[in-house]
Amino acid sequence: MSLTDEVALVLRGARVQNRVIVSLIIRELGARFGRYYFGYIWLFIEPLLFGSVIGLIHYMRDRPTVFGSFEFFAVGYVMFFIFRGILSRAPTAIPANRPLLFHRLVTLPDIFFARHMIEFFACSGVLALMLAGLYVVGGSFPESPIQVLAALVLMTLLSQGLAFIFASIAEAIEGAARVLQVFTFLFMPLGGLFFLVEWLPDWAQEIVLWIPTVHVFELLRDGQFGSRFRPIYDVSYLIGWIVVTHLIGLAALRITRERLGVEKALSS
Amino acid sequence: MSLELIDVHKSYPMLGGRRIILAGANGFVARGERLGILGRNGSGKSTLVRMIAGVEAPNRGRIKRSMSISWPIGMGAGLKPTLTGEENARFIARLYGKREDRIVDFVADFAELDEYYRMPLMTYSSGMRSRLNLSISLAVDFDCFLVDEALAVGDTRFGRAFEERILKYGLILISHSPAMVRRLCTRAAVLDQGILTFYDDIDEALATYNAL
Repeated sequence: MSLTDEVALVLRGARVQNRVIVSLIIRELGARFGRYYFGYIWLFIEPLLFGSVIGLIHYMRDRPTVFGSFEFFAVGYVMFFIFRGILSRAPTAIPANRPLLFHRLVTLPDIFFARHMIEFFACSGVLALMLAGLYVVGGSFPESPIQVLAALVLMTLLSQGLAFIFASIAEAIEGAARVLQVFTFLFMPLGGLFFLVEWLPDWAQEIVLWIPTVHVFELLRDGQFGSRFRPIYDVSYLIGWIVVTHLIGLAALRITRERLGVEKALSS
Repeated sequence: MSLELIDVHKSYPMLGGRRIILAGANGFVARGERLGILGRNGSGKSTLVRMIAGVEAPNRGRIKRSMSISWPIGMGAGLKPTLTGEENARFIARLYGKREDRIVDFVADFAELDEYYRMPLMTYSSGMRSRLNLSISLAVDFDCFLVDEALAVGDTRFGRAFEERILKYGLILISHSPAMVRRLCTRAAVLDQGILTFYDDIDEALATYNAL
């Protein structure tokens, strides 16, 4: 096969995969939110509502910090929502979509890509809306929107790599899905949503900086109000996590895909 | 334009050893041919179908597809129960890169669902669901249809219309009913104990099958 043939083959594959993912996105939207337009609004309301409530609670009870509690917690929560939304749905992603695999074109990663894109665009939309709203009511505009966007992308990719692994574990071990969901929930206070690394004593900084999402939150806050505190993060560490989780996760999905066939044959 | 099986092996781990589904199958199906595959329950027909459809890999050997082959019809197509028949038809059209309106109209005409076409799938009877499934697959227009006979259409008006149409295409029909194979196929193969044997003469295949 000549080089041009190979390039043509890869391009055709990319076109097909793109088509598959787009059709899965439309299907998922239709099924998750119903045929009523209210459903699509709900996609935005959910993180907006949760983010706002958490922001408000902190706004009312907190010691005043350098920046508004609402800006800090509400925006941070939307970021956490990506992580939570992707990972809490990961264990059911495969069982819920198994019949789709009867179409040769559909691969396991496609199913995840489609879901994650929905999550990314919904949360980015909410975040943009929230930041714009805050600006209108007199808050400060993010100092670097690019950094905020980068944090969104990195959070989605990190969650994606972990979702591949979570889904594979849930498929391999019965009952693991519950444990993973509890883990995602318990992870909330550690993930970086509620603190700045700067606030912690040195020994605690050492520990939390092992957690990849802490770097995402620091990056987000650097973008929001970087000149008002000392952000501590390392994007290359985060990218390392993304690459490693993707490699492990995609390999695990491959093994999972082969095992799926076995189970089906034994049960039928 | 064909389907080719080259030394295909398939087995599964099982309690106390491996269960052999295929021990080195070879075969060739040209475009437009209609092949029936006969096998007793549990002979591994469904696994063979999944391998032909390309959704499960053989342990060894190759399956070459140079014509378009449908998904295994009769095994579920990933249609969502909360979506309407029409929305599901649209989904399949998008997935296979076909013109949506053409597929939606074809299914509306062919599936005899009337107002149910715009109702969620979960309100359908099993007969309606299989009419939708079959109609959508016909609309996508494959070179070769891969059909598991477990189709609850039987000898109905729809069943006859479907059979009439499928005779214009290539077909691989998986069945344990000799009558259906005789009606729809031009060749037949028998799957038994890991061996897939092809017969050019249907009567010979049926005789072998009946003697199993």
